[in-house]
Amino acid sequence: MFEEPFRWMEAISTRHSYVQEKLAKGQPVIGVPYKEGALLLGFSPQPGKVFEVYDRIAMGGLGHPADVEKLRMTLLDMAHLEGFNRSAQDVTIARLLQFGIAPSLKQNFEEVMRAPYLAQLLLAELDPEGRPGFYRLNYDGYFEKLKNGGAIAGSEKVRKWIDKKVEETPFATFPLDKALKEVCKLWEEGKQQAVPKDEKNEVDDDTSITLKDAFEKWNLEAAVLCSKASKKSIYRTLDAKEIETLKSAVTKK
Amino acid sequence: MNSNPDSFHPTGDFFELLKRTGYHLNASSSNLEVGDKFSVLQGTTVLAFHYKDGVMVAGDRRATAGNAIMYERCDKVIPIDEYSLMAIAGVPATAFEMARILSHNFEYYRRSQMQSMSAEGKIRALSKLLKENVGMALQGVGAVSPIFATYDLKKQKPFIYFYDMLGAEFQMHTHCATGSGSPMIRGILEHEDLWGAKPLVELSENDAAKLAVRLLQTAAQFDSATGQARPEDKLFPVISTITAKGYHFFPDEDMGELFKKSMDRG
Repeated sequence: MFEEPFRWMEAISTRHSYVQEKLAKGQPVIGVPYKEGALLLGFSPQPGKVFEVYDRIAMGGLGHPADVEKLRMTLLDMAHLEGFNRSAQDVTIARLLQFGIAPSLKQNFEEVMRAPYLAQLLLAELDPEGRPGFYRLNYDGYFEKLKNGGAIAGSEKVRKWIDKKVEETPFATFPLDKALKEVCKLWEEGKQQAVPKDEKNEVDDDTSITLKDAFEKWNLEAAVLCSKASKKSIYRTLDAKEIETLKSAVTKK
Repeated sequence: MNSNPDSFHPTGDFFELLKRTGYHLNASSSNLEVGDKFSVLQGTTVLAFHYKDGVMVAGDRRATAGNAIMYERCDKVIPIDEYSLMAIAGVPATAFEMARILSHNFEYYRRSQMQSMSAEGKIRALSKLLKENVGMALQGVGAVSPIFATYDLKKQKPFIYFYDMLGAEFQMHTHCATGSGSPMIRGILEHEDLWGAKPLVELSENDAAKLAVRLLQTAAQFDSATGQARPEDKLFPVISTITAKGYHFFPDEDMGELFKKSMDRG
């Protein structure tokens, strides 16, 4: 069936459509710089949206939890082996993606008889000078560096809108509490972009969910890579108190 | 690097992961002859004891090869994770490698399983490494006899474990010391605990630190393989603590003052 180039291209195209359809309802993860480092935030029905990968690297995932988990474990294995065999300084997202996971993902995606990975990742790191860097990895192995942060989202429209807003907002100058509030705002407004204007009153699924509903229905997961941390591992998840404070600040009318 | 997401093994065991890549802690020892285990050199004094707020862990800085002093600024108390320290005595190459494996093991477990390894698991992990190293230890080229101290977050208390070079682990409820200088100070520790002004476990951090400095100076008086402090060169022993807040090393800038006070009588 795949001897003819057209058939293969058609199969790949169908595969793209299939994966995109599966990812469409994935909840966004937003990554931005803030005054002291980098912040990743997302809502999720089940625990497991934002994770620590290595001393200075964090990731957020979207898609099928089992596939996100496989990619997360692969990144963890690669990072820890590299950090052990060489040095923690040699563990960078660029190396993990370019020489590690991206080629494998591409190969997996183009082997059309294998199940594709239903996942997208957003990775963040702080370099030794404390400068944040962000990377987005697609299910087909394509990855890109995001200079000032960005998002992954099931809807391309939502993702582009949040990316644009992140680019326009001076997040790097914000303290953590302000950055958190702004990111939550972007999350809510971003999700509205997926709703066609004339259907706003009819849509009742997760697409038009408000922040208030999201806090009640799902778990908010947020973590920072903080340049001021005194320990080797600079990753820190927001604790229940911080999330409660954020919830009160962004849901009060 | 194994970059294939299809081949993951979610055990959380970094040592297993290392082995899958072909790593062996003592890969090159198979053709060596069995040596005399009693001739193993242990040029070190490291010690640990319980004090009021947690555990004090300290060590001298000298590294020796036979009669030669090779290095005077060796750090023999190594952070393994936020709540654990390992004090090493024995062959530094093996000891440092074990510390690196342990450190990666605990962090890998915490990140992959999304929870910290239990204190019991941490204690056993070092025992497992020592057992892997039995061949090297018996051949007299890789013996390590460490002290492992950790704070158990669940039980809210610190623990000190002493290991023999074959991997047996012994929980120490008061104090322990290892290395060539340890026989000189074990008696002092016991004496201080039983008949000192206060039992060790009631000492304040400051008094515990002073005692640790004095013990290491004493060991250095009688054991040529234990390094003395040299304040004129800003060379001091390593003094550290483990409490509910994690580990803490006395910074270099504080050590001068601590050493001076420790050397005063009283």
